[in-house]
Amino acid sequence: MALPWLIKDAIDTILYKADGSVSLLRYPLLILGAAILQGCFRYGWRININGFSRRCEADLRDRVFSHLQKLPLNYFQHTKTGDLMSRMTNDIQAVRELMGFGSLAIIDAMVVIIFSLSFMIRIDPWLTLWSMLAMPLITVVVRFFGRHIFRWSRDTQEQLSVMSAYVQENLAGVRVVQAYAQEQNQVEGFATISGAYRHNTMWLATLWGIFWPLMQVLAGIAATIVLWLGGRQVLQGSMTLGAFVAFNGYLAMLTWPLMAVGYVVNQYQRGTAALSRVFEVLDTPVSPRYETFESPVRSLLSRGSVEFRDLTFAYSADHAPVLKNLNLIIPPGSICGIVGETGSGKSTLVSLLLRLFEPPDGTVFIDGRDIKRIPVAEVEAAVGFVSQDIFLFSGTIHDNILFGLDSSDGKKAEEAARIAQLLPAIESFSHQFQTVIGERGVRLSGGQKQRTALARAIIKNPPILILDDAFSSVDVETEEEILRELKRFMKGRTTLLISHRISTVRDADMIVYLRDGKIIELGTHDELVAERGAYYELYQRQKLVRQLESMKHQEERP
Amino acid sequence: MTAEFHGEEEILGKAYDARLMARILRYLRPYWKLLTVAFTFLLLHTGTQLSGPYITKIAIDRYILNQDVHGLDNMALAYLGVVFLGFLFLFIQTYTTEYTGQRAMHDLRMEIFSHLQTQDMAYFDGNPVGRLMTRTVNDVETLNELFSTGVVGLLGDLFTVVGIAAVMLWLDWQLALVCLTAFPAILYISRFYRRRAREVYRESRLILARLNAQLQENIAGVGTVQAFGQEAKMHSRFQQINYGYRNVLLRSVRYNAVFFPIIEIFSALTIGLLLWYGGGLILQQTIQAGVIVAFIQYIQRMYQPIRDLAEKYNIMQAAMASSERIFALLDTPATIKNPLRPKAPEQFLGEVEFKDVWLAYHPGEPVLKGISFRVRPGEKIALVGATGGGKTSIISALCRFYDVTRGQILVDGIDIRDWDKQHLRRQLGLVLQDVFLFSGDIAANITLGDPRISSEKMIQAARRVHIAPFIEKLPNGYHQEVQERGSTLSQGQRQLLSFARALAFDPRILILDEATSSVDTETEMLIQDALHELLDDRTALIIAHRLSTIKNADRILVIHKGEIWEQGTHQELLAQGGLYARLYDLQYRQNGERSDSGAALPNRALESA
Repeated sequence: MALPWLIKDAIDTILYKADGSVSLLRYPLLILGAAILQGCFRYGWRININGFSRRCEADLRDRVFSHLQKLPLNYFQHTKTGDLMSRMTNDIQAVRELMGFGSLAIIDAMVVIIFSLSFMIRIDPWLTLWSMLAMPLITVVVRFFGRHIFRWSRDTQEQLSVMSAYVQENLAGVRVVQAYAQEQNQVEGFATISGAYRHNTMWLATLWGIFWPLMQVLAGIAATIVLWLGGRQVLQGSMTLGAFVAFNGYLAMLTWPLMAVGYVVNQYQRGTAALSRVFEVLDTPVSPRYETFESPVRSLLSRGSVEFRDLTFAYSADHAPVLKNLNLIIPPGSICGIVGETGSGKSTLVSLLLRLFEPPDGTVFIDGRDIKRIPVAEVEAAVGFVSQDIFLFSGTIHDNILFGLDSSDGKKAEEAARIAQLLPAIESFSHQFQTVIGERGVRLSGGQKQRTALARAIIKNPPILILDDAFSSVDVETEEEILRELKRFMKGRTTLLISHRISTVRDADMIVYLRDGKIIELGTHDELVAERGAYYELYQRQKLVRQLESMKHQEERP
Repeated sequence: MTAEFHGEEEILGKAYDARLMARILRYLRPYWKLLTVAFTFLLLHTGTQLSGPYITKIAIDRYILNQDVHGLDNMALAYLGVVFLGFLFLFIQTYTTEYTGQRAMHDLRMEIFSHLQTQDMAYFDGNPVGRLMTRTVNDVETLNELFSTGVVGLLGDLFTVVGIAAVMLWLDWQLALVCLTAFPAILYISRFYRRRAREVYRESRLILARLNAQLQENIAGVGTVQAFGQEAKMHSRFQQINYGYRNVLLRSVRYNAVFFPIIEIFSALTIGLLLWYGGGLILQQTIQAGVIVAFIQYIQRMYQPIRDLAEKYNIMQAAMASSERIFALLDTPATIKNPLRPKAPEQFLGEVEFKDVWLAYHPGEPVLKGISFRVRPGEKIALVGATGGGKTSIISALCRFYDVTRGQILVDGIDIRDWDKQHLRRQLGLVLQDVFLFSGDIAANITLGDPRISSEKMIQAARRVHIAPFIEKLPNGYHQEVQERGSTLSQGQRQLLSFARALAFDPRILILDEATSSVDTETEMLIQDALHELLDDRTALIIAHRLSTIKNADRILVIHKGEIWEQGTHQELLAQGGLYARLYDLQYRQNGERSDSGAALPNRALESA
């Protein structure tokens, strides 16, 4: 801040008190010293404030993440992934900018404005007043343009997403487009959107195009006033040339802080809006399954009996119930097959057992205890789950199999992979267990994914095993092979086996036929076949399909 | 925003590639006049930037020190004039640059989009929609930055630095050389900084991509995480990346915190040198004070561009990477091209013949194995068989979504590869099982925005397929916006709408993939009626699910495992007692016990199994 002042002294010394050569070196050294001092200060405070804001950003993101993980699954069904991502990245970034850049700029601005003004007033109060005629306008202009630029850029951004959506739709509907020879038409539609976008960006560019030069004009007007009035005073001898130069220097220093003030005001609005969006996520209550108990009973669930008692369940109050008055007791160690059409409630039933959705109190029991009275970690430990839509993580096979464990025991992973019939596949990979399977396991076939998920469930050694349509991607022969090995593992465990295939469930101790959220048939395979009901129909149909599949063309062709 | 495209997104190459740059510049060629204007005003603006300090010098040396008030007034006026000229020049330059850039980018976007329209289905099977969207929208946007900030900014900075150096040398070369002594050091330091900054930028982008991927994966897989109780583990994994990202950014904070003050120190050092050496010169009466004042201002203006260099460098680099990806897309030739001498006969009969057609999406895995059949003009053919048997492949091949691997498909005796693609497709009406609705109003969904279809024709089509009464009841009638994924319309209505679409285009050959979804009895009647209307006087290939459709067909082809298994009329096939008969028998029996909204269908027996 002392820099222009030193320049003033230096110039005045040279011009008016030119007596010795000593002074010629003194000022440059002083200037350098002052600059180094200022540099050190700036370094210290930049690193602290910017560093602080970066740390806050990371901590905030961390908190949102850990909260997000515990939100009820319903929340994710009606919130778009893109929206959540944008809150976690763009909004948090806006908050950080407010904290870091915003606070840095405002402190910087305050210090600079106070010092510059006081030096200027000391040089000449009247000249200060005159030159300040134009400068505060800078803040006003920044605020005005900032707001409009923000609005236009938001519109432009929206138009960009309209354009993305158009391209997306065009590509998704490309068959229709090509089949009806509408390519030209689509291209014209795109031209309109792209043109509108161009039009919008031109407005934005115009605003920017006026904004920056306008800043320079305002600063330039102030400089003109100083040149004109200040020049007069130097000319009349009421001001030294050095003071004139210093005054110009301080004036130039003011431009940036005055802009910053206007900028920060806008940023404040954006930052707080972003913060409120982040808090919206944080204020959403976590899933009830994470509630803690005052005195958790540490008796591990080990027998594995499962009971659904008078269970009626709907995903939300305004949806029709998916399960209606359902009663079912599965004795420990038995295998219960569940069949039924898509949408009959099979997957919902088993997901309630893990409290992925909240069943009503007193409807779902494990080992005779209401699962809503058991800490969820215990339930998770007791249940091995292979879901219908398998989600694998992008790491290695090893990591995926060991997902549910805290250890990384290679032996265990190998054993689980062996039971799941995954070992031959793994051995054919060049990196074996360390093979990276890509996002959602894209590098694996459907059957390999299912077997990886199976191994992931097996390795937990749970008393209860849930297989929700776990073999749909493997052929019947492979399924039988897996089941043969799995039967040994299932011995002594309670197993809930959902399948579309009769062949999967036919050996189960009991088979449940679900339709529209109700059990319509219950019994062993032989009993149900003898009943000649829905199960029997399904059985007949599938028998025929298998016959068809094994048909040889030559024999059948007329 | 998938991890996959982040992966390729982050390959940052060179900041300047002559081959790419030359190709980018080709898009600017049509606008060279505007570019010249922009360039001229860029120079002019630099000129005004340079003249401000010079006017100050004249004012001091000539008038202030010589007590000339009138001269000072003139100088102040001149200064003000330069300020306003600067405003004007900068505005014109910014506007023309942006205008040119936007035009060129519009052209490029159009080229990409049009290019995508010519690709075949195999291309779309291999390129996820998300990636193609990124090319068309985001990559072009990055490239635009190159124009609006990168190139012009760099040029402007270059002019400023060179101009200032020149003016300073011209004013007093000795003093200028003294002031410029620090410059090599600054160039060296900023080069060092730029390298570090780029490294950090690169690293931060990479780690940010990982952070986003991790985030995305956790949101998508939240059910699995909860089911396995692995919240803590996932959290600690995220923490690792999140704090890794923070640490990279802290490094960049540190570089900035060092670099900017250092530049300021050098700027002060230069001013110190100036005062020391210039002071001496003043004492020797060699120069006047105004020169020093002007030099101080010049030096301050010279340092600004150096600060921005790293940022502009990053923009250049990102733009080069984007353009490389865009050009790779444009260089992929369309696989299904129009023949050199396309045939487009006036008269269209509607005869279709498959001659030993083989089709494989992947080499060695044929989905059609020697399909041969002939459809006479006006004949209706029903295709039945299990899912995966090859029915859909037959219609895809006929629409030329894929070219056949072996054999040929003839329409009116001409190989479809010799037909004018557009002309042929205009004679084919395709109705898919999953009705694709575009955003827009109902009318646009019937006409697909084709100007050749008049609104009378559109309404007539809607009437004939019985959807008109429903549409007319909507608040905005034919101008009712269709909701995303068509929630304003029921399944049945969507089917009727797609019938109206096909009818409006009045094709000679109708290709229909009947929807399997069951609808209420009333709608079912409407659909059957509409179908009858649609098929009237046309050749038709129908993947049939309705018993009524199958029974009404002139011939039934039973497609199984990529081959034609049986063919004949409903009665003939039943009498044959083969595959078709067994399917029919089973379905009939099942239907006897559970009424399924009146639509009996052999296919459904297989598909629900």
